[in-house]
Amino acid sequence: MSAPPRPHTERAAAPPRRRQWRPRAGTLRYIGGRLLSSAVSLLAVMVTGFFLFRILPGDPVLAMTRGRAVTVEQLAQLRREFGLDQPLPQQFLDYCLGVLRLDMGMSYQYRAPVSELIGARLWPTVLLVGTATVLAAILGLWLGTRAAWRRGSATDRLNTGLALTLWSVPTFWLGLLLIAALATGIGPMPGLFPPGGMMTPGTTGTLAVAVDVAHHMVLPVTTMVAVVYAQYLMIMRSSLLDELGGDYLVTARAKGLRNDLVLRRHAVPNALLPTVTLIFLNLGQVVAGTILVETVFSWPGLGTLFYEALKVPDLPLVQGLFIVFSASVIVMNLFADLVYPVLDPRVRP
Amino acid sequence: MSQSERAPCSPASQGRAAPPRAMAWRRRRTAWLRFWREYRRNRAGVVGLAGLMLFVLLALAAPLLVDPAQLSLTGAPGTPYQPPSARFPLGTDNFGRSLLDLVIWGSRVSLTVGFLATLVSVTLGSLVGILAGHFRGWTATVLMRITDWFLVLPTLVLAIALAAVLSRSTLTVIVAIGVTAWPTTARLVRAQTLAVEARPYIERAKALGGGHGHIMLRHVLPNVMPLVLAQTTLLVANSIITESTLAFLGLGDPTTVSWGAILQDAREAGAISAGVWWYLIPPGLAIALVALTFTLCGRALEGVLNPKLRERR
Amino acid sequence: MTDHKAVGRTPRRRGFLRWLAAAAAAALTVGGLPTAAAETGDDGVTTTLTIAESQPVDSLSPFLAQRVVSTSIHRLMYDYLTNYAPETNAAVPGLAESWQTSADELTWTYTLRDDATWSDGEPVTAQDVVWTLTTMMTDEAAATANGNFVTNFEKVTAVDKRTVEIQLSQPQATMLALDIPILPEHIWSDVEDFATFNNDTDFPIVGNGPFILTDYQPNQSITLEANPDYWRGAPKFDRLVFRYFNDQDAMVEALRTGAVSFVAGLTPAQADALRGEGDITVNAANGKRFQAFTINPGATTVDGEEFGDGHPALADRVVRRAIVRAIDKEALVDRVFGGYAEAADGYIPSRYSDYHFEPEADERLGFDPRAANAMLDEAGYTRGDDGIRVSPEGERLSFRLHVHNNQPENVQAARFMTEWLADIGIEIRGRYVDPGVVSDALHAGEYDLIFTGWLVNPDPDYVLGIHTCDALPTEPGAMRSDAYFCDEEYDRLYAQQLAEYDPATRAELIQRMQRILYQEAVVNVLTYPDMLEAYRSDHIAAIQVQPEPGGNIAHQDGYWSWWSAAPAEGLTSESGPSTVLIVGITICSLLVVTGTALVVRHRRATAEDRE
Repeated sequence: MSAPPRPHTERAAAPPRRRQWRPRAGTLRYIGGRLLSSAVSLLAVMVTGFFLFRILPGDPVLAMTRGRAVTVEQLAQLRREFGLDQPLPQQFLDYCLGVLRLDMGMSYQYRAPVSELIGARLWPTVLLVGTATVLAAILGLWLGTRAAWRRGSATDRLNTGLALTLWSVPTFWLGLLLIAALATGIGPMPGLFPPGGMMTPGTTGTLAVAVDVAHHMVLPVTTMVAVVYAQYLMIMRSSLLDELGGDYLVTARAKGLRNDLVLRRHAVPNALLPTVTLIFLNLGQVVAGTILVETVFSWPGLGTLFYEALKVPDLPLVQGLFIVFSASVIVMNLFADLVYPVLDPRVRP
Repeated sequence: MSQSERAPCSPASQGRAAPPRAMAWRRRRTAWLRFWREYRRNRAGVVGLAGLMLFVLLALAAPLLVDPAQLSLTGAPGTPYQPPSARFPLGTDNFGRSLLDLVIWGSRVSLTVGFLATLVSVTLGSLVGILAGHFRGWTATVLMRITDWFLVLPTLVLAIALAAVLSRSTLTVIVAIGVTAWPTTARLVRAQTLAVEARPYIERAKALGGGHGHIMLRHVLPNVMPLVLAQTTLLVANSIITESTLAFLGLGDPTTVSWGAILQDAREAGAISAGVWWYLIPPGLAIALVALTFTLCGRALEGVLNPKLRERR
Repeated sequence: MTDHKAVGRTPRRRGFLRWLAAAAAAALTVGGLPTAAAETGDDGVTTTLTIAESQPVDSLSPFLAQRVVSTSIHRLMYDYLTNYAPETNAAVPGLAESWQTSADELTWTYTLRDDATWSDGEPVTAQDVVWTLTTMMTDEAAATANGNFVTNFEKVTAVDKRTVEIQLSQPQATMLALDIPILPEHIWSDVEDFATFNNDTDFPIVGNGPFILTDYQPNQSITLEANPDYWRGAPKFDRLVFRYFNDQDAMVEALRTGAVSFVAGLTPAQADALRGEGDITVNAANGKRFQAFTINPGATTVDGEEFGDGHPALADRVVRRAIVRAIDKEALVDRVFGGYAEAADGYIPSRYSDYHFEPEADERLGFDPRAANAMLDEAGYTRGDDGIRVSPEGERLSFRLHVHNNQPENVQAARFMTEWLADIGIEIRGRYVDPGVVSDALHAGEYDLIFTGWLVNPDPDYVLGIHTCDALPTEPGAMRSDAYFCDEEYDRLYAQQLAEYDPATRAELIQRMQRILYQEAVVNVLTYPDMLEAYRSDHIAAIQVQPEPGGNIAHQDGYWSWWSAAPAEGLTSESGPSTVLIVGITICSLLVVTGTALVVRHRRATAEDRE
């Protein structure tokens, strides 16, 4: 499970950073500042990625040749091939220059450029995370609204309780249980969904492929949604409760607007803002969190690639994925920062 | 927010004489009582607390309930994969050990990891948060930059990387979780520190000659503590789940018995497809329950400490 | 155009629910834009055999591929000069229909069959063989995978279109076991850099094996079609699909639902569970692999320079033998492998009955903790206050044990060993670490006990060769052995068996070598784990195992299993999606579109309201 800030810290609803932001500052300067700070973060991530995995134990060349007869010359040749004979500063420089050109080296185990491997696996992950996030957001926002509107009712308690319970369940365990229950089938109930993979090989035709992929997606998406929607629900619920206490709602009611209209026209749109922001802030972490879901369901995305690479360990690949995962968090944060003023007229510069 | 007034430790403790101290004690007692009264109003929180105490008791009493010799591979009392029976209420694992015993024993490691990892991250987070909130200027900038930096590193990925880099042991898992989970706490604590330092009595303390250390330790820390406490309970839940995740990915210590390790063993034995459900369900359920009890407690605490939140429930 | 599903398909009756759920999900996924209707209606029946796979392909270039999965695929795609008989593993004709060797064993002449063609219609000629072998001899990158086969080659020439002559610098025992796929020169001569060419871009890949590779989706699937013109006869299944799974349980579930027809690498619990199920056949094959641990007798280089930090007491053969006697191999078989293994003494698995060694009753180091204790007592290793023995030199018998943390059976065996060795006063400090760390510790000589294991080929030359003195490192750091073992008598026998062409005499020599290994107790074999596989008998009617009986199906030496696999009666392919489905999807997508439109309108309305 990805471990983004716990959802129940309702205080985290609006990211604190935004409070310091002054509405009168120039838009350009704001954007520039955010871009710059994202670039700094990205650089920091690159540095971390390089040095963190340099200290991984195990000689990569010996790991590559395990179980085979190799001569000392062959080992030296491999070291040359992967640039491992260079001094560390030189390696670092090459690495930095490479990353800027989107060249993250050659994978040890696949003998293919890391960027190519990541590119090939990117879309399955985007598809999985995208679908799951959209569904989780819809579900979370809807249930959160209902829970807040009927605060204290049985619906509220049931919803909150269920969300918290699902949030407490380890992702991979939930996935395994779903496989056991819905892919194998229990008792007379047959298995309804494939236990893994993204597609039945040999499927052709746009429609058939779409159906097949969707069929394979049901279980992994369900698992992700179950774990992620809880925090959206909790945030939506608490920010809506915040709004419901607002003076303008009292005014609106005093004007004679119907209750549900007040909710729909005034409270919900305002409460949506922090929640939507949080969804974006979380998206990056969710991408990283797919490692577990993808591993359990053999989904051919970045998470599986990371898990496979870690087992070897395939240094350039692990490093490249680390950067991609971190960069996705940074980009999503940046996006949230840039989109927030657009969404919320109150803070438009 | 008005946490400081209801905080268990009163900030005004200039006097060193005995009578004020007694008074302070009395005040603390009433504060605690009031706190408990309010906490009790949250039914979910009480249930959580009860569950939590049950689990802690279980972990502490484990040596009385379980004979460690029966947890060794060679001394396993049963045969492999026995379904639940009177003798083994939760069945046996692939070595013939009682799963009930394993789950009870596993609570020790899981809870320890949960608590210690949280301790590491909360200590680190509070330290950075208070320092960044107290010293403005470049110290704060640098500290918050570092915090932001850690905040963008995907927690799970970083924890996996750390657990892979360091050698396999429970300590490694604790460090990996602790080091990755602190930035959220740091941010919260910093915000709270800024709020506390804006209060008049801090001005007073400064005017009276209180140094940085004095202000941070005697005034800021006590006021930040309640918040940290709430954060802690939430983090423990997270840490326990992360521990099981790392164990599941094969990054734990295979020789210790923890819930995550039992699940990992079950998976490696192919328990799910072999239909050995009793191997898979108890440890996962235990993790979920403990995480839930901690979460319920944490939310209840937050509610008590933050009246604005309380009103909503 | 036909549209086929894997043979593993869910029966029709559950179809509707499945489609409904799928349709809903599909509508959400693709946003409801079905453009092309899938082609339906089969005119012929295509049979597909789907195999579960988990190991990623390292490369599809035979010059680079080293992983079992890749080399097994190459067996299907390309012909080799010779093949291994399915029943006995003996060399049989492959691309070469006959061969001769000169009196000095230095010149080998292979005659190629004349009915072999490449899948693009070109004939397979001697020049292709020459090109393949010469490229490996001259291009360093091309030698990556199989360079060890050609290091002794002096010259390879095409005598005529069907005759290849190989000249050796010294005799080589593996001349009928050259595991080198022969490549089409007319395709491969265009490749610029063999180090980066992965042979996975231009489908179908031109080959001359029983199957033709038509598609490769990394970590998703590998698809091969039957080669109807293969000289030994076309395979019986029309298509072969290797489908990827990361999770062993998911694999088994896929077998249960019929999504795949074959699964290898089962755990004992899974094998037991599948055994009881109808339509599934479990094949517990005798292992090709041994599970072992080696003891550091003191690491040295070839020149005798000592290095590393192995425990000094382990240089004493008595301690090593006592350790072996404290281990209950039968219990390991029962508890770790659920009975699906064989307790082992000899180095070469019993599957290779000619070479397999069984110790005599009086030399057996059987499980006997009392005897082990007595041996140690007698040799002066007395127990200290904490119950741990101390050597006459005053060293505590506390040993590190390095274990690959990604191999559950090693981890479990290590946990058992720790408990057993405690009974004879030896403390084990388990180091459950990444394979890379295990290998680093080995190469640095910084270990006491360490796990190992090899897949043994039909010709055991390689695994025997790694324990000659020659295999010791020239300098600390890298070597091909997995133990610092060096014994003159062993080396003498090794050289003798290399030059011995009489099978019986060679087998006898090899058994004597194993006796030395056994007695020295540096390399200690624990078990020969079974290879646990299962297939759906309602998909596969018959399949060849290797060797027969007791052999395995996956990763054979040769292409026998998939080539011979026959589709079961009544196995047809599933047609494309039905009309009901298309209607369902259209409805769902309409719903989604309408919903989105409503939401958008509503949003706009609220925005206006607020302004």
